[in-house]
Amino acid sequence: MPLLPLSRRSLLSGSAALLASTALPAHLRAQETPKKGGRLIVAADSEPRNLNPAMVASNGVFFVASKVVEPLAEASFDGADGLVPRLATSWEGSDDGLSVTFRLREGVTWHDGKPFTSADVAFSALNVWKPLQNLGRVVFKDLESVDTPDEHTAVFRFSKPTPFQLIRNALPPLTSVLPKHVYEQGEIADNPANTAPIGTGPFRFAEHKPGEYYRLERNASYWDKDLPLLDEIVYRVLPDRAAAAGALEAEEIHLAAFSAVPLADLARIAEVPGLKVVSRGYEDLTYQLVVEINHRRKELADRKVRQAIAHAIDRKFVVDTIFLGYATASTGPVPLNSKTFYTDEVPLYAFDPARADALLEEAGYPRGGDGKRFSLKLLPAPYFNETRQFGDYLRQALAVVGIDAEIVNNDAAAHQKAVYTDHAFDLAVAPPVFRVDPAISTTILVQSGLPDGVPFSNQGGYRNEAIDALIAKASETIDPEARIALYREFQKLVAEDLPLINVAEWGFVSVAHESVGNIANNPRWVVSNWADTWLGA
Amino acid sequence: MTLRRFLHSPEALAGAAIVSALAVMALVAPLLFPADPLSIAGRPLTPPFQDWSLPLGTDRLGRDVLAGLFHGARTSLAVGLAAASAAIVAGSLVGTAAGFASGLTDDVLMRITDAFQTVPGFLLALAFVSVAGPSLATVVGAIALGAWTGPARIARAEILSIRERDFVAGARIVGMHPVEIALREVLPNALPPVLALSSVIVAGAILIEASLSFLGLGDPNRVTWGGMIAEGRAVLRSAPFLSIIPGIALVLSVLGVYLVSEGVVEASATRRSLS
Repeated sequence: MPLLPLSRRSLLSGSAALLASTALPAHLRAQETPKKGGRLIVAADSEPRNLNPAMVASNGVFFVASKVVEPLAEASFDGADGLVPRLATSWEGSDDGLSVTFRLREGVTWHDGKPFTSADVAFSALNVWKPLQNLGRVVFKDLESVDTPDEHTAVFRFSKPTPFQLIRNALPPLTSVLPKHVYEQGEIADNPANTAPIGTGPFRFAEHKPGEYYRLERNASYWDKDLPLLDEIVYRVLPDRAAAAGALEAEEIHLAAFSAVPLADLARIAEVPGLKVVSRGYEDLTYQLVVEINHRRKELADRKVRQAIAHAIDRKFVVDTIFLGYATASTGPVPLNSKTFYTDEVPLYAFDPARADALLEEAGYPRGGDGKRFSLKLLPAPYFNETRQFGDYLRQALAVVGIDAEIVNNDAAAHQKAVYTDHAFDLAVAPPVFRVDPAISTTILVQSGLPDGVPFSNQGGYRNEAIDALIAKASETIDPEARIALYREFQKLVAEDLPLINVAEWGFVSVAHESVGNIANNPRWVVSNWADTWLGA
Repeated sequence: MTLRRFLHSPEALAGAAIVSALAVMALVAPLLFPADPLSIAGRPLTPPFQDWSLPLGTDRLGRDVLAGLFHGARTSLAVGLAAASAAIVAGSLVGTAAGFASGLTDDVLMRITDAFQTVPGFLLALAFVSVAGPSLATVVGAIALGAWTGPARIARAEILSIRERDFVAGARIVGMHPVEIALREVLPNALPPVLALSSVIVAGAILIEASLSFLGLGDPNRVTWGGMIAEGRAVLRSAPFLSIIPGIALVLSVLGVYLVSEGVVEASATRRSLS
């Protein structure tokens, strides 16, 4: 591939030093000081066309666009409330939950030279996040207006009390700020800046060669004068997962994120000198392995049958065999690593096929002559190897307790249509994402009354008034402690009634060359701005 | 005579041995491995020749590779034979109709055949399965869809010569219905060369089925060799046997079927030149 003829040479010169550095003891290497310059080459497994993170808040878009377009605040391992300032320097919620005041950073300019002001924030919030963004539609649904008393203050006003805790948790993924002067003319969805984003971030968008690469360049006038450290970031498009491992070993790329190297290959690649396997940097993007249930099916509308299915699944086998240990068994709809919201005081479903058999008998589904109680259609989501493999496993686990599951494979588009629009499934395997706060993308998985066709939402026809009331109450509860208590209650109710079955939760794994410094230094590092990432020589 | 020639050719014998082994595997699979071959049988990723209850080891989920190989032979052979029969029945009917009716019907049918022949069979199968959804029946249909044109052309060519023979004229004079003449008098005489094509179609069908399964378009509720190879691809570097074992089975079966068909053609060709 005639891609960037310099890359090979610069990498080779880097690799000689890299070999030398591996000879050093680890504690000496850790003390190396960050160095300026260099081109970081990373693997990209997908190639989103729309790179507007304010509209499409998804990890595939953030992976590239978060270096160009910045949010008001970024997640942090040690900052107050788990945040560090980016475009906002401080934020404060009113006691009644009806307003939030942001102080904005001064001296920030857009990549085209225009100054960044509160008008940009107001425009992004009212014209993009609230009406157009997949996640913002939920969180900012009651945002009424944004006041801009001066160029560096933005006051968000809500029509109903909105928890400040939720707004804070939503800052990193939901608040990418767009330049008003670029977007105010014409349709936002058709704006050319969606494919060549303009932001305030440490890197400018340079070019995209479809099928080959994206290239970002250092922004010399970044508001933090000492950053960024890298000169360039190149995302090399490598859709084949086996290719990423090969490219790392051949020193054609420095970093492969989002488990681009298959889990089964990690043990081998960890032994390759000069490469490191890093599983930090994904803490705030926890993926959950979930069995979605179509409650329109008579058998599945029975709680005992759902509990039987939960008892039939060996979570330890799933974690050890399918995820090769790079996952945690789930107890409910909030993952263990959410220290704020997680509770383990929920009904647990131990692996117990005998108990599952008994529950199915109780529910009135005896085994027929062929040992089968009833048949189901099982649709595993095709997005990850692990979701497909879990589908194969689930079929076997259900066969043990007498449920005959027939697997139906679809491509991504057909799967979304079958499950979320046509409801043509009995069981489905889905990988929803938990994003720090249950109200962002988790309660929607069990809440009733959603329109057909909303992906990653409750499309199984489940309706539980107690849970619906709890979700509604939590969405207006301002006091953080009371809110947390409500979400703990929510976890208990969900685990008890099983509108869906949470099986495991996982973060991704990155593989990088030893020469790449400051990786995984925040809980959503892969989709953060990489301003302090550097490349050792 | 033909049989003796066939038996004197070592290639044909080797082919026959492979094909019979394949048939035996397919027949005894449910007896030797009565459990679902997709069920979890042991520790995941057991290498071959370590645990004698699982001689060829297990895959990433702990499924028995040997059981998969046997049951996969069943799927491969079933798909190969079903697709070939469907293609030959459809092809010879179209060919007979075209050759016997001639005129406009012939033109229309042959242009349709041309149209199908211009599209690569695999592409046609891929498109058909992705629209109709993967299941054993659609896979068979999809393969037959690309394979019926060969038998149709050969049948038509045979029939063009047979229909001018005396016994056909005789049947016409006796007052037989043209459809009856076509199906009872002409078609049986045109069949042998068409049947000679069948083994080539079977081999092609086995390969197409494996490719579809490899791409995830096979029936996910059955073991197939292509599916096993695809499964093994994720661990190609650490457990290559998972892809290599079904790969070898696939190569051997296709080779076997080809050798048999070679042998048959060779033997019957000599007979023809002698007579």
